Amino acid sequence: MTEEEHSLNIPSLLTLAVVSYFVLRWFFKRDDGSAGGGRGRGRGNAVDPAQVEQIAQMFPQLSTRDIMWDLQRNGGVLQRRQRGSSQGVDWKLYVFADADKNPPPSFQPPVAIPSTNTPPTQTTTAAPALKADGQDLISRGTPSKTTWSQNKEERQQLLQKRRDDMILAARRKMMQKNQGDAQ
Amino acid sequence: MASSVAQKRLFHEYKNLSTNPPEGITAGPVTEDDMFHWEALIQGPEGTPFDGGVFAAELKFPRDYPLSPPTMKFIGGGVWHPNVYPNGTVCISILHPPGDDPNHYEHASERWSPIQSVEKILLSVMSMLAEPNDESPANVEAAKMWRERRAEYEKKVRDEVKKGLGL
Repeated sequence: MTEEEHSLNIPSLLTLAVVSYFVLRWFFKRDDGSAGGGRGRGRGNAVDPAQVEQIAQMFPQLSTRDIMWDLQRNGGVLQRRQRGSSQGVDWKLYVFADADKNPPPSFQPPVAIPSTNTPPTQTTTAAPALKADGQDLISRGTPSKTTWSQNKEERQQLLQKRRDDMILAARRKMMQKNQGDAQ
Repeated sequence: MASSVAQKRLFHEYKNLSTNPPEGITAGPVTEDDMFHWEALIQGPEGTPFDGGVFAAELKFPRDYPLSPPTMKFIGGGVWHPNVYPNGTVCISILHPPGDDPNHYEHASERWSPIQSVEKILLSVMSMLAEPNDESPANVEAAKMWRERRAEYEKKVRDEVKKGLGL
């Protein structure tokens, strides 16, 4: 019973906390607005708990705090993902190589979000597709981790990927070396 | 019957090579429908003219593997090396069947035996690239160049490495 109550109350608690956080933030920001207004921030960057959850499912290795920081500061990986792919950039690398990803120690998440290992029940409609997608993206982002599968076709693909990676890496290295020699 | 033993053994080796791959080596069957035909990629050893290159080779296993050794042949461009035939076939002792060696220059322990493995073959080939064996040249021209005109040999190898990477 307590568990059910708990999970039912999280979204409303979150919404309340997020809203009050931004109200307070906006209130304090107004006071020193002229001093610190250099870092413009879009209005649409309010942290949406559902979005936090979505991202947490796609990137289980990110902490909730990281995700909130990212959402608040950059509009979230989802938006950066779209930007990255429209520019033909490998957005996974883009996201994870971003030095700004880690929030400073001073950053306080607007609310304490419960562990993402037990996602609330409301998101079941979107969750399965997202999760499958996320896992796939993660495994593709770290090729050296997964090298074997119980599935024949997957094994074949993993082997092919390792071969491709090896050749690409060698080619890239050689091109860099050639450029270095030419200069 | 014998071929199912071979298939099991090859599958086991494939799994080991995939889950615990030696540095600079990727190997596995071209398709699992035929476990007797593999393709391997070997990185050129550092500090040698082969450094930076990736060399593709095909391995063909006999039905009585691991009693008999596979054959190994570099594909897609030659590997200019004293112990590689001009057609790409690799000639090193670990690929030679056990038994008496007519030339008496190989120790029995260096030759193929069922306790060897694909991994050991590929590692041997890697070290062969670094250190040619002058005693049994498969490519007489390359051996001569390696012995007498080392700088020319190294340049030729480096050029082929670049060509092999499509650069």
